[in-house]
Amino acid sequence: MGTGTDFINTRVDMFGYYLDLAWRSLRHHQVLAALMVLAIALGIGASVTMLAVLHNLSGNPLPGRSGVLFHPQVDPRPAKLSGADVEPPDDLTYIDAVNLYQLGIAPRRAVMSSNWLPVRADAPDSPLAMYTDRATTADFFAMFGVPFLYGAAWSAQDDASHAQVVVLSRAMNQKLFGGGNSVGRTLVIATKTFRVAGVIDDWNPQPRFYDVNGGAFGKPEQMYLPFFAWLDLPQDYGYGPMNCWGNDPNAGTHDPRVQQCTWAQFWVQLDTPAQAADYRAALVQYSAQQHQLGRFQRDPDVRLRGLLDWLDYKRVIPVTVRMQTWIAFGVLLICLVNTVGLMVAKFLRKSGEIGVRRALGASRRDVFAQCLIEAGVVGLAGGLLGLPLAWLGLWMVRQQPVSFAASAHFDPSMLGVALLLAVLSSLLAGVWPAWRASRVAPALQVKSL
Amino acid sequence: MRIHLQVRPILAALHSHKAAVVLLVLEIALTMAVLGNLVFIVYGNIQRAHVPTGVAESGIGLIQSIGVIGQDNPGTAAGNIAVLRAVPGVADAAYGGPPLWFVQSNPVFVDPSRKQALAKVYEFQGSQGLVSTLGLRVIQGRAPARDELPVAENATKDTEVPVLATQALASRLFADGHALGKVIYDGGSNPMRIVGIVDHLRGGITGRADDDYALVAEFLLGNQNVGGGFMIRAGDPAHLPEVLAAAAAALQKANPGHVQSKLYTMAELRENYFRSDLAAGRMLVAIMLILLVVTALGVSGLASFWVQQRRRQIGMRRALGATRGDILHYFQVENFLIVSAGVLLGALFAYALNLFLMHRFELAHLPAHYLLVGALALWVLGQLAVLGPALRAAAVPPVVATRSV
Repeated sequence: MGTGTDFINTRVDMFGYYLDLAWRSLRHHQVLAALMVLAIALGIGASVTMLAVLHNLSGNPLPGRSGVLFHPQVDPRPAKLSGADVEPPDDLTYIDAVNLYQLGIAPRRAVMSSNWLPVRADAPDSPLAMYTDRATTADFFAMFGVPFLYGAAWSAQDDASHAQVVVLSRAMNQKLFGGGNSVGRTLVIATKTFRVAGVIDDWNPQPRFYDVNGGAFGKPEQMYLPFFAWLDLPQDYGYGPMNCWGNDPNAGTHDPRVQQCTWAQFWVQLDTPAQAADYRAALVQYSAQQHQLGRFQRDPDVRLRGLLDWLDYKRVIPVTVRMQTWIAFGVLLICLVNTVGLMVAKFLRKSGEIGVRRALGASRRDVFAQCLIEAGVVGLAGGLLGLPLAWLGLWMVRQQPVSFAASAHFDPSMLGVALLLAVLSSLLAGVWPAWRASRVAPALQVKSL
Repeated sequence: MRIHLQVRPILAALHSHKAAVVLLVLEIALTMAVLGNLVFIVYGNIQRAHVPTGVAESGIGLIQSIGVIGQDNPGTAAGNIAVLRAVPGVADAAYGGPPLWFVQSNPVFVDPSRKQALAKVYEFQGSQGLVSTLGLRVIQGRAPARDELPVAENATKDTEVPVLATQALASRLFADGHALGKVIYDGGSNPMRIVGIVDHLRGGITGRADDDYALVAEFLLGNQNVGGGFMIRAGDPAHLPEVLAAAAAALQKANPGHVQSKLYTMAELRENYFRSDLAAGRMLVAIMLILLVVTALGVSGLASFWVQQRRRQIGMRRALGATRGDILHYFQVENFLIVSAGVLLGALFAYALNLFLMHRFELAHLPAHYLLVGALALWVLGQLAVLGPALRAAAVPPVVATRSV
């Protein structure tokens, strides 16, 4: 080994030679090799399936925008409340929702909730049907980057004047108006006439970060109404998932304006860290002021979580998915123990061959490297076979009637993860057997030949 | 006898393959740990999906008929109940919802000051006929008589409401067993007097004890226009789907101002309720199968390796008079010993894993008999996996002994 390049060339040559040896060895012991590859493939298939599900479920729902979206929380609960969570409530009471909405220091903000309402097209004898709605304020669409097919969002002026306008989802526009440009047409919502302001394209960020009450992987609502006009409607269809303190958990069922019930979600856009700091200070100040007024009994306790922190805090990933992921990795571990056992056996069988190589001058390191490369080849083969298995696994998940089924698709990045996981884990499994094989004493083996 | 004699030489032989044996034992133990817990979770899911709610499930159908505020509608509550009862095949009908369908769960108190809630209770409220439509079994006391029902329009916040309580709730609230006639309170202001006890009524089925804590209250409805859930009970459960459809049509005809959102039979509600649990169960069963296959691969892989390695020794034993059966048994016993060691270690692992799952996912404590199921499965699996290699070993002719390898 004279120069550096020679050294590298030798290494590369040796690597090629070891690959060739590995290939020959595996072909020679086809059954054992097939068993190892199959075991690794099954382990990789199971774990990559669950990894892909987990990866898709914990993704960023609004890449590019998530950094500037924040979820403010204040604590309006009584000082003494047995069994209460230490964290402030997720949602706001009606009064806090209105006050924070009017606070106006965030560049954009949206207050919202959801329920379902009876709707019919504005034509005689058209049938009534229930449609889900999100009641919110004008900034919702720009803040969350909702794409419009026709028309546009309503204005802040519309919010202020309680205008009866509506933004339809693509599917609802299809159902009611046959899918054309329906801007300006009217429909009857809870007996009041609303004018279509816009129609949005399919939009379904997952997890549905802006309202995780009742699961973060649900469908989006079918239409969007101005929040304050929505509150005016003659309706009693619930006002979203409501949490009330005190003895009567139903205090707000028919009256969303009661003091002791939280139910409105609230989001703000804050473009710079300075704005976020100012907004946090404003929340503290607001809480202190409400405390002085006697409305808040607790000392100011506010939260201003960014979108991704919020999803983290809410642990939106279904518990069954987390458990299944743990179990899938348990399976992978078992597959690896299995592979270690088979490799020990396999290298042991090659003792004679290894003894000859050692006697002919191969160092322990050479033998170790050769065995490890054989393990890597097994892992690579297992990974390649595991990919279609993972694909099959994801297909099976998609067939399940679970809310996150649609999220179970094969991400190209998972391809690399699967192969890397397969090779790394099989190398790991190969270390000990290879080390054992490299301890084979040359003389003993040569003698027995 | 023979098997007993074989154990010592087997142990001696295994001793010289320590590494592979230890790994195999470890693999079986890990498989056992995961398998035991998975069987427990899946079986728990399946069992829960078959817990009865306590109502006449096979005959009950639900019509969700939603009133639109501000919309004219000629139908009345009492009229609607009469319309439903008049539909051929309907045995009973009432306004109110069945179990597993948005049943409210509220704290309940035995003192009027409402200081300390004793339990969270499913509250079933509905019209006259609710108890008989649900088909509840009153085992003590009686169902509220029609003339003592509070009239919905006249009820004030002090009106006493006669209620039925489940047996489980009655003994939770009144440990002395004298619940009949006692007054209890929920978050609202009305006192509720327990006039009867029903055997079971589960609002939801989560596996917790308070599933079976329920109260049923009937109110006398008259001319008001109410929307929500209307229930029917078909006289012949076999005809429920047709009867339900006919009832829904009749109800819609009487209430042109209502929106009918959905019809459900109780069986469909149950299916929806357990859908995601059963889906998770199917995933776990798939994982279990993978696990069993991998372990079988490991066992039979190592066994065939050993058979091949010991061909010469097997030949010698055969030459010295061992029968094919002896050789077969040798490998079977060897496998049994290894699997048994794995199972013993696996029982420990299973409990450790169960502690972790209990801590992290609120899983219940793993009962010992699930470990027996896991052990049995692994013993059978081991014997099946070793059968091929062992038969190959038994087929080794004695003449091999005379050849050099």
